[in-house]
Amino acid sequence: MTLIECRELTREYRKGGSVIRPLDGLDLDVDRGEFLSLMGPSGSGKTTLLNLIAGIDSPTSGRLLVDGTDLAALTRSRLAAWRSEHVGYVFQLYNLVPVLTAYENVELPLLLHPLSRRERHERVVSALGRVGLDDRDSHYPRQLSGGQEQRVAIARAIVTNPAILVADEPTGDLDKASAHAVMSLLQELNSELGKTIIMVTHDPATTAYSSRTLHLDKGRLAEANESREVPA
Amino acid sequence: MTLPRCLPYVLKQVTRHRVRSLLTVAGIAIAMFLFTVVQAMSEGVGEATSASANETTLVVYRKDRYCPATSQLPQDYQRRIESVEGVVSATPTKVVVSNCRTSLDVVTYRGVPKDAFLRDRGDALEIVAGSVADWQRRTDAALVGETLANRRALRPGMTFDAAGITVYVAGVFRSDDPQDQNVAFTSLEFVQLAGRDQLGIVTQFEVKVADASLLEDVAASIDETFATAQEPTATFTKQAFVGRIASDLIELVGFARWLGLGCLAAVLALVGNSILLSVQSRVSEHAVLQTLGFSGRLVTALIVAEGILLAIVGGAVGASAALAVAHIGSFALSVEGTSIPIIADPALLLTGLVVCGVIGVVAGLFPAWQASRREIAACFRTA
Ligand SMILES: Nc1ncnc2c1ncn2[C@@H]1O[C@H](COP(=O)(O)OP(=O)(O)O)[C@@H](O)[C@H]1O
Ligand SMILES: [Mg+2]
Repeated sequence: MTLIECRELTREYRKGGSVIRPLDGLDLDVDRGEFLSLMGPSGSGKTTLLNLIAGIDSPTSGRLLVDGTDLAALTRSRLAAWRSEHVGYVFQLYNLVPVLTAYENVELPLLLHPLSRRERHERVVSALGRVGLDDRDSHYPRQLSGGQEQRVAIARAIVTNPAILVADEPTGDLDKASAHAVMSLLQELNSELGKTIIMVTHDPATTAYSSRTLHLDKGRLAEANESREVPA
Repeated sequence: MTLPRCLPYVLKQVTRHRVRSLLTVAGIAIAMFLFTVVQAMSEGVGEATSASANETTLVVYRKDRYCPATSQLPQDYQRRIESVEGVVSATPTKVVVSNCRTSLDVVTYRGVPKDAFLRDRGDALEIVAGSVADWQRRTDAALVGETLANRRALRPGMTFDAAGITVYVAGVFRSDDPQDQNVAFTSLEFVQLAGRDQLGIVTQFEVKVADASLLEDVAASIDETFATAQEPTATFTKQAFVGRIASDLIELVGFARWLGLGCLAAVLALVGNSILLSVQSRVSEHAVLQTLGFSGRLVTALIVAEGILLAIVGGAVGASAALAVAHIGSFALSVEGTSIPIIADPALLLTGLVVCGVIGVVAGLFPAWQASRREIAACFRTA
């Protein structure tokens, strides 16, 4: 079943007199429950695509349906509400709030939902447990290793229980062992919780954790390189 | 509501950026301290120079004189003043000040005929320590106004010395009249004898008039009575008299109000600067909040709330400190025997907080709006 549908998806930026087109008529379908890896040279539009799917950027033209919602038709504030329900974003550089503890960082997205303090507590504890950091809840980001920070960021992304996770080079700044921990975690979230994951990566080794790998080039899919594995 | 749930986040932003917040709050506190002091002085001017509707007192002074040292009138004018129609009584008063310059700590003696004084003014004075009987018994006794007593830590039974006159404190009183609050009442003769050739000479007469509506006519009649005398008079309502003697001071306080406005501008600049810097250093953090689903409006509200919090905490500290100093110090600006009290009115704290709240909103609004308008994706690119 298709969860994300991109048709002729185009994003242009105007810079001075010239127009940059990081996405140029891209067609893509992602099924519910897929774990998709996106590769491609730097500047090929990978981040731009993730941002459109995550609803923090809007297409210049084309269609983008996510779980039946036409994101281009939403107002800025509707789009914000949509994000809080449907997507979790994992950044390369974690982007935790430095003055908040791990617990408080994970709690942050829950503040938008009408939950009691107790309900929030249960969810935060369960999310931190899921990423294996229940004992680090009172640590500040600067007191955590990069791998731990990224796991806290993943906990923050899943605490509201969204259907989709997007991850932009989530292991790009990590050593091998930490990268493995993060990738195993993402795979687990995909197979056990059924999260649909779209991950940008530079490291071919990480694509082994995903169910499908696509290559982007100059704002389009490089069809020749597409390899589709049948999910087990 | 989402905003109340997010307020702990604002609090953490403020308390966990400790140095930045402390510096900002300290700056705001200093500015609000000054602002509140200016307000307290302005209130004092208002209280000292605006007449209540049922005021029935006139002050008769020597014409064209502006200080107690040069305003000399024969004591026997009393009978002639009292014979003017509409006058109930005239109290000859000799004023001596410890310091001819403007100061925060001037001691002002008012020598008065004790019996007449108690008859006319006794009811208006509330004795808070000591006794009136003691005052009547001793020639060197003084009844001391509460403000002066607090400032000099005077208690009944003590003696103190000012302007070369040593008096015994018989009692401390409270009065609604700010002029009374800052003086020591002694016997008229005692003060006259303390100076050379001063027997029979007074500074002024305090005249009770039968009805408030008669004030102007009676004042004119008194001045007419002495128009051709060797020592002509000038008669004013009590408040106009203070306004005339203390006009320089009042002008100064009026000017100080501009300083007060300057303080508010400083608070605006401080909060604005602090919020602007913090927003600029947190571009990606605010983009993260929006990525998590915080709306632009909510981000704006959180930033503005931070401005309000900083401003209000600074304002509370500064204004309370100013009121505490004014209260403990019991200061009054005195010149030539008249006083402008510095009033530690608790309502000034409320004024300060409201003003700071508004400034917090104004200072935070623009940076907050800017932060919420940025393209989210572009924020991560530059960060
Ligand atoms: N906000 C923007 N303004 C101007 N150019 C942009 C903007 N965002 C992306 N680009 C350009 O779009 C192109 C693709 O960017 P991106 O999607 O980040 O590539 P990738 O993630 O594949 O490296 C780059 O050339 C980048 O400079
Ligand atoms: Mg990128």
